[in-house]
Amino acid sequence: MFMNAVEISNLKRQFKTTIGVIKRQTKEVIAVDGISFNIQAGELFGLLGPNGAGKTTTIKMLTTLLIPSSGTATIMGLDVVKDAEKIRPRIGFIFGGERGLYWRLSGLDNLRYFATLYYVDSNVAKKKIPELIELVGLKGREKEKVEGYSRGMRQRLHIARALLHDPEVLFLDEPTMGLDPVGAREMRMTIRDLQSAKKTILLTTHYMFEADALCERIAVINKGKIVALNTPEKLKTTVRDLSVVEIEIFGIPPEFLEKVRNLEYVDGVAVETRDQRQILLVHTPKGPSAISDIVEVLNGLRLGKIVTREPTLEDAYVRLVGGQM
Amino acid sequence: MKKIKDTLRIIGMSFEIELRQNLTDGFVLFGIVIQPLIVAFMALWMLKDKGPDYAIFIVVGSAMTGLWTTLLFNGGNSIRGERWAGTLEPLVGAPSSLRIVVFGKVLANVTQSLLSMIGCYTFISLIMGYPLTLSRPIFFLISILLTVFAFVSFGVIIASLFILIPDFQRLQNTLEFPVYILCGFLFPIALLPGWTTPISYILSPYWAARALHGSARGMLEINHIFISWVLLIIFSAIYIVGSGALYRLVLKRARVDATLNTTG
Repeated sequence: MFMNAVEISNLKRQFKTTIGVIKRQTKEVIAVDGISFNIQAGELFGLLGPNGAGKTTTIKMLTTLLIPSSGTATIMGLDVVKDAEKIRPRIGFIFGGERGLYWRLSGLDNLRYFATLYYVDSNVAKKKIPELIELVGLKGREKEKVEGYSRGMRQRLHIARALLHDPEVLFLDEPTMGLDPVGAREMRMTIRDLQSAKKTILLTTHYMFEADALCERIAVINKGKIVALNTPEKLKTTVRDLSVVEIEIFGIPPEFLEKVRNLEYVDGVAVETRDQRQILLVHTPKGPSAISDIVEVLNGLRLGKIVTREPTLEDAYVRLVGGQM
Repeated sequence: MKKIKDTLRIIGMSFEIELRQNLTDGFVLFGIVIQPLIVAFMALWMLKDKGPDYAIFIVVGSAMTGLWTTLLFNGGNSIRGERWAGTLEPLVGAPSSLRIVVFGKVLANVTQSLLSMIGCYTFISLIMGYPLTLSRPIFFLISILLTVFAFVSFGVIIASLFILIPDFQRLQNTLEFPVYILCGFLFPIALLPGWTTPISYILSPYWAARALHGSARGMLEINHIFISWVLLIIFSAIYIVGSGALYRLVLKRARVDATLNTTG
């Protein structure tokens, strides 16, 4: 048994893109910029970050689908570049979204195919596939073509596919993306069950409450770099000195946002969309006494309900990634 | 023993999955059934002065065009389709060899293309009324089996190019007719300039066409059919053995260039 199931040291990945048609120029984009962290065996580790932060690129390097530009990464002591073939039977992965399945085949046929590709013995597969279909709640629908499945059903089929060969390490890239609240809750329960089964899990998600509820430790990645790594509780303490003023607002021009950001005692500003409304989130150590000044700056805009609350993990995240939501 | 069993199981499963997906695709059915009939009709009309015994040459030649078209388009497009569907990454990320999976897929494409031959035979014999007899049926049957092997081994090589170069489908059309011509599917390569002959000789489908035409029409001596078989087997074996190193190279390049997925 390895102490660390995953070890990453100075991992870096660049991509080359070309711009222009006649005068073509090659541009290098750094997706992952020298990150280092370890995941203990049996740990559920979260990797959080805004879109384009480098989460998926990191997972693709760890799942042997991309070769790092520099640095090293090992899974159960095996190098992701040199030992890719030895790593593959020991890991499972899912990438968020609906791709990665054969839509013209049934869910059952998708699982039969991947069971073969993962060398699952046919007698074992005959028993295992119905169990997994039941586990992910697809019983009764398994013989239907995937093209007729809902988004949630496809996500759950992904999970079943990743578990076919009983992997030791699981990489779950935004597994609840696009699921309805009930589907997302069921998915979280499945992840919890996997955690109870002592699987090592690397989870990426956009949902802070999900990371807070599930992960033992969280790394926040932004612009390819790890900007924080700790337990959810410890990450929350980074914003303990702050309060969050939430202002319901009906459209906010960028110059007003900048004015609020420039207020002396404002630590961070973000705009969040909830249903049809926009919510301006202002992080400030002044608490409710800051409201009057903020409202004055927003003079001329239509405002709704204003509340002050304690900061959450999401607020810590917003502070760490510089106000990007 | 277990390794052989696992390999056969993977080939069988990817064969089944590819076949089941193809049979729901109208474009595939067009390539297998309709296109060879159009080619056969045109060839019959162009070569009507050559006499009725030329009909069997057209059946075999037209079917081979169907075989090659299906292989080129379906074999290549299936890799492209996997990339677009996001399934190429799970295939590469699985412990089984992608080359073996591709072998099964190409085998399915080639096998279903044999329908072309049945379609052409029926069309020319029953509808157009030409007498069709095989001069050496046993030799023809063996040649068919070896042709499947030749086309599958060639297809495994072609498919690797689609893994390496996402835009390779742009070259598909330009590859279709040169192979018809260079491999002598419908016209003897003796009609071509001499400098093209060595190119024909290194293409296993040429030896397949030679063996099939030779055994169907009886225009080749038995020892020449044997030579075609041997060369067909040698070139196909070279492709299969060479494809091992080729796939290692192609997959490494694809993992460096991030071309396994359309979204990078």
